[in-house]
Amino acid sequence: MDVVDQLGAVREGKLSRRKFTKGLLAAGVAMATMPATSRRAMASVDDEATFFTWGGYDIPELFQPYEAKHGTPPNFAIFGGSEEALTKMRGGFVVDVAHPCNSGMPRWVQSGLFQPIETSRLSNWADVMPELVALPGNDAEGGNVWMAPFDWGQTSVTYRTDLYELEGEESWDMLWDKRYAGRLGSLASGGDAWWCGAIKAGVAMEDIATEEAFTKIAAVMREQRPLIRVYTDDTTTLEQALSSGEMAAAMTWNSSAVLLQSEGVPVKFARPKEGALTWVCGVMVHKDAPNLDRAYDVIDSLLSVESGQFMINDYGYGHSNRKSFDAFNEETLAGLGLSKNPQEILEAGHMQRPQTQEWETRMNETFEQIKAGF
Amino acid sequence: MADTSLSQTEARSAPAAPPRVGRIAGILHRNETLRGYLLMSPTMLIMTIGILVPFLILLVMSFWTREGFGFDTTLTAHNYTRVWNEPIFGALLQRSFWISGVATVVTVALCYPMAYYVAFHVHRNKMMWIILMTLPFWTSYLLRVFAWKVILGYQGVINSGLMSVGVIEAPLEFLLYSQTAVIITLAHAWAAFAILPLYVSLEKIDKSLLEAATDLGDGPMARFFRITLPLSMPGIIAATFLIFIPTTGDYITPALLGGPDGAMIGNFIQLQFGAINNWPMGATLSIVLMLWISAIALVFLFVTRKAQERIA
Repeated sequence: MDVVDQLGAVREGKLSRRKFTKGLLAAGVAMATMPATSRRAMASVDDEATFFTWGGYDIPELFQPYEAKHGTPPNFAIFGGSEEALTKMRGGFVVDVAHPCNSGMPRWVQSGLFQPIETSRLSNWADVMPELVALPGNDAEGGNVWMAPFDWGQTSVTYRTDLYELEGEESWDMLWDKRYAGRLGSLASGGDAWWCGAIKAGVAMEDIATEEAFTKIAAVMREQRPLIRVYTDDTTTLEQALSSGEMAAAMTWNSSAVLLQSEGVPVKFARPKEGALTWVCGVMVHKDAPNLDRAYDVIDSLLSVESGQFMINDYGYGHSNRKSFDAFNEETLAGLGLSKNPQEILEAGHMQRPQTQEWETRMNETFEQIKAGF
Repeated sequence: MADTSLSQTEARSAPAAPPRVGRIAGILHRNETLRGYLLMSPTMLIMTIGILVPFLILLVMSFWTREGFGFDTTLTAHNYTRVWNEPIFGALLQRSFWISGVATVVTVALCYPMAYYVAFHVHRNKMMWIILMTLPFWTSYLLRVFAWKVILGYQGVINSGLMSVGVIEAPLEFLLYSQTAVIITLAHAWAAFAILPLYVSLEKIDKSLLEAATDLGDGPMARFFRITLPLSMPGIIAATFLIFIPTTGDYITPALLGGPDGAMIGNFIQLQFGAINNWPMGATLSIVLMLWISAIALVFLFVTRKAQERIA
């Protein structure tokens, strides 16, 4: 059966129903079997390590050394919030490497789902900034660590300089600005939004678990909710909305602002007078990691200078390898809100703190109810 | 065809072990119930493993409660009382029924004329018409939802079209991230499930009944309401169920297009199993949703049957 011939027959109106159905059947069979055959062709997929990460980190640019060694980047699985990721893994989802942040790390360790990272197996470990390793709850037995720090950055407000009329200083109030009702966006995960709410409500990070803090933060989140066009975990949605002018300001991470600026969209990553939310994220190895050797290659790849330079240059995040910063001058780094001395940036903002599981669950429950309008 | 193949297999296996086959065949021949169960057994097996067992797990879990990351397995109706007492659950259920109810009505109303046209006015290549109508549904559900995001978006097809014509000056914001967006998308995404049953029931209508009605003096309108509509009722009911039941619990459409006010119960159930991490509550919500859907379906069936009786 010739495809071109069939098309000709259709054009001339000569195609019988039986022939047409036959053609459709053939196309259907071809389409149905395509995934099966192509998967068989890429038999090595199962042998690659799986990296369970936030959206935006699932790109080959961060895995150049890995790709050089194994010929293909690792497999990716994506989550929108670290609590969602932990729940999924507790439910039996096995990955090799996962990507939590400092505030979740102790709870992730407690879950018993992870194994310590043998730092001696990482070729880039010597260049990792020690202040990022020395996070509360990170030391495992024998000088090993639970989480290898990878990226650090801020959660703040990205706003359109041409659409958002700034009154006074940059501030978290921008996301509570009634003038822009329906033109503000927010990250959907309580892991970011609730903490930003705490900064807005004037709650100190060490008091975030108190009853009073809960009431205060819930109140500001309820106040904000009618102004928000969409809560999303998908940073692309926020970036597109900012670039089209659908939103005038949104809560984002560094990368959204940097990406939009590189596309020529007039946006700025605010330095709120109250301080931005700061965090350090890293990678942990699952206790049942099916491809342990490759899991270490994933980590080594993430910690490499190549990945670091990409993170700084293209995403505007801080990296944990101190050598990554050598390619950039102080001016560029300051423009990105970064520094060779991460402590400076992290302490200037409000650093997330680890909380108990009860707090985390209660916070998520409350925030989800608020988002649903209650 | 079936007859010949049956006799062939019998003929082939008969010499090998005649008495045994004969006995089994005899039992099968005499016992109609057994034959029925045997024919159903592959389906029943899948239903048991794939639906009944998970349903029982869900049911039992809905009477548990959360305890940290684990479950407190003492049976209690705590979750059910919470669903009853806290307004959020009722409101989300109500919203879900409203959205999917409107979507169902819109879908059936839009698909009925299409099915009607093919059933009564197309005489050649009917199959081709049906295939062409259902062609958009050969793409993935997710892709269709994303396509609607592009169409309804701030700089989407509708907004930029209207703006270039000069009808509106600023993009219409209610199009995306709203209940309207969810309803529009659901109505389109599930159209295939309405067209097919409607077409089948309309196609089955005996045309001589219509001629008889005309002979007896009915105009086109009266003929439609007295003959066509009542006789196509099974198709309408089937289409309604096929759309209403799955869309009520739909997750991906409201998640992508709903915005804060368009969230439905399916999204909340997902959150219970995800970020909120309260699996028993998620199970309870699923059960409550199922009960409500069954209740609504029964009421709907009862009402349509009564209406049909009255027409007849």
